[in-house]
Amino acid sequence: MGDRFDPKSVSPQLQLTVEQFYYREARLLDNRRYKSWLGLCDPGIRYVMPARTNPLVDNAERDREEMISVERELEGADSDGTPIRDEPFALLALRVERSFKANSWAENPPARTRRIVGNVEIIEVGDERLSALSNFHLFYARPGSGNFLYAGQRRDVLLRDGDDFRIANRVVVMDFANIDLPHLGLFF
Amino acid sequence: MKWKISDVVNDDATLISRRAWSDPEIYELEKQGIFGRAWLFLGHESQIRNPGDFVQAYMCETPIILSRGEDGKVYANINSCSHRGLPVCRAGHGNTTKFVCPYHSWNYDVTGRLVSIPQDRQVKVRPDKSRLGLKRVPRVESWHGMIFGSFDPEIESLEDYLGDMRFYLGAFFERFPQGIEFMGQPQRWVIDANWKLPVENQLGDVNHGPFLHAATIPPEANAEIFKVGLSVVPRPGHGATFRYMPEDEPVENVAWGFESPAALLGGSEVHDYLREIQAHAVERVGPVRARMKGLAYGVYPNLSFLWSNTAFKVSHPRGPGKVEYWSWSVVPADAPDAVKKVLRGSHTSLFGPGGILEQEDSEAWSQQFRGCNIDFADDRPFFYGLGAGEEGPHPDMPGLVSTTANEAYARYFFRRWRDDLQTVEAA
Repeated sequence: MGDRFDPKSVSPQLQLTVEQFYYREARLLDNRRYKSWLGLCDPGIRYVMPARTNPLVDNAERDREEMISVERELEGADSDGTPIRDEPFALLALRVERSFKANSWAENPPARTRRIVGNVEIIEVGDERLSALSNFHLFYARPGSGNFLYAGQRRDVLLRDGDDFRIANRVVVMDFANIDLPHLGLFF
Repeated sequence: MKWKISDVVNDDATLISRRAWSDPEIYELEKQGIFGRAWLFLGHESQIRNPGDFVQAYMCETPIILSRGEDGKVYANINSCSHRGLPVCRAGHGNTTKFVCPYHSWNYDVTGRLVSIPQDRQVKVRPDKSRLGLKRVPRVESWHGMIFGSFDPEIESLEDYLGDMRFYLGAFFERFPQGIEFMGQPQRWVIDANWKLPVENQLGDVNHGPFLHAATIPPEANAEIFKVGLSVVPRPGHGATFRYMPEDEPVENVAWGFESPAALLGGSEVHDYLREIQAHAVERVGPVRARMKGLAYGVYPNLSFLWSNTAFKVSHPRGPGKVEYWSWSVVPADAPDAVKKVLRGSHTSLFGPGGILEQEDSEAWSQQFRGCNIDFADDRPFFYGLGAGEEGPHPDMPGLVSTTANEAYARYFFRRWRDDLQTVEAA
C-alpha cells in the first residue's frame, strides 16, 4: 500500500471522478436503490468483510509498527480463519432480491441510512483498473429498533468502464469490538 | 422472589411465563442452578494445538482462559488475578508462556500457576504462591475434541451428560476420517435478547423456517423437511433435528454441504469431496446415521450446532436482556485447504452477523424479548403445546422422536430448566 501521494498518476480529474462515483454509490444505497447499486458491481466481484479479532500483542515485535498493525487483527479471505462475509456477485444479487420482499423481516420496515464517504485515496492507477481506499460512517435508524453508527474502511479495486467505474473487488474493514450492531448484512 | 418457578413453567411445560426470559431474579437463579452446575462448552482442541496456545471463553458471564500446558494437557482457569481481580489476559487468542496482571505484575504460567509476585522480596513473610494460582475450573473434559468445563466438582462425566446426544453428534463428527476443526476466531455478536432465545431456535425450532425466512429459503427445501424431518429429544435439554432421508436417495440429496450456496458455487473439487465423504458414510457412522441430513442441534444449556450450515454457537448470557452470541465455522479436518475455505462460507453467507438468514433470526429474538417485558399480559404465558404427548420412541434411533412441528424439544428443555431452578429456589 503506497504511503505517498503520487501527483503524476493521480490527477485532480481522476480524484474527482472517483469521489463522484462513491458519492453516487452512497446515494443509491441510502435511497434503497439496491438494484441500481448492483449495476455498479462487476459480475466478477468478490465482496469480503474480514473478521476483526483480538490477537495477543507480541512483545517480540515491540518498537515496530507491525506490533499493533490493523492487518494482524483481520481474518480475511486468504486467512485460515473465517471472514464475516466472502461473497461473489450471486450472493450480493440474492441480498438485493431479498430486499424487495415484504417478508424480509430484518428490513421491514426498512432502515433509514445515511452514508458519509470520505478519505478517498487512490493508491494504484492502471490502464484498466485502479485501487482506492475510502472511509465511511453509516448512520442506521430502524423504526421499532434503534439508532446505530457503523464505521469502517473500504479497500476497492475499481474497473474502468469508459468514464465510469465498476467495483471489481471490495474488502470492508469494520471497526467494532464486539458486534453491537443489528447486523452486518448491509451494503457498505 | 417475586415469582415461584412452579408458576413460571406449568407441569408439562406447555405454558411458560414471559418472565422466564426477562426477570432479573430468575436470571440469578439460572446462574446458580444451571451455569454453576452444568457442563459448559469452552472450545475445541483444534484451537489450542500447541503448548502455550490459549483462547478466551466464558462460563455464563465469568471469563475463562482455555489453554494448553507444556505437558500437553488442557487447562481452564478463571481470568481474574488472585491479588486484585483484574483479567490477566486481554487477548482473544494467542500463544504465550505467561499471563501477567497489568496492575502489580503478578505472573502466572499458562496452566494458571502463580509463578512470581514482584513485591514479595520486600516483605518478611512471603505469601504461599501454591495457594494463589488462578481459580481453576474444577472439571474439564472433552469428547471428540469438544472441550467442556463445569464448576461442579461432583458433576457426572461429560459422556454421561451428553448421553444419547453422542449418537446424534457422532453422526456428523464421525463422518470425517479426522473429525472436525474450528476455523479461526468466533464471531461475537451482541443481541438484545435473553440467552435462551437463540438456544431454543437452534434446539429444535424448525417451525419458523418457512415463515420467518420465506424471503430466502426456497419452498422445496421446506417440503423436504415436512416430509422426512425429525425432531429428537435424546435427553431433556438436548435436541437434534435432521432429515431422515430415504435409503435410495441420490448422494447429492443426502450428503452434507450440497444445500449451501458456498458449496454450490464452490466448484468440482468441493463437490467431489462432499460426495467422497457421503460415499463412506455407512462404513463410518452406520446405515441409520448415514441417512441423516442435519438441521440444528442443542446441548443443554447453551451450546448449539447448526449442522446444515456447519457452525458451533454458544449463547453467553449478559444479564437477562443481552446475549453475546459466539459462532465458529467448523470444517472437516481432513479436507484440502481450498475446500475448507469454501466450506466455511456455508456458515457465514447465511448465518452469523453478516448472514442472509440469521439477520431475520436475531430480529425475531429481539422482538420476542420485547414481548417478554410488557406489562398487563402475565395471564398470557407463551404456548409451547404444539404436538404435546405425540413424541415417542423410534425403531431406528434413541430418544423421544417426533415431527419437526412438535415443540417437545422446548418442553423438555424447560422441564429440565424448571427442575434446575427449583433445586436452588428454596435456598
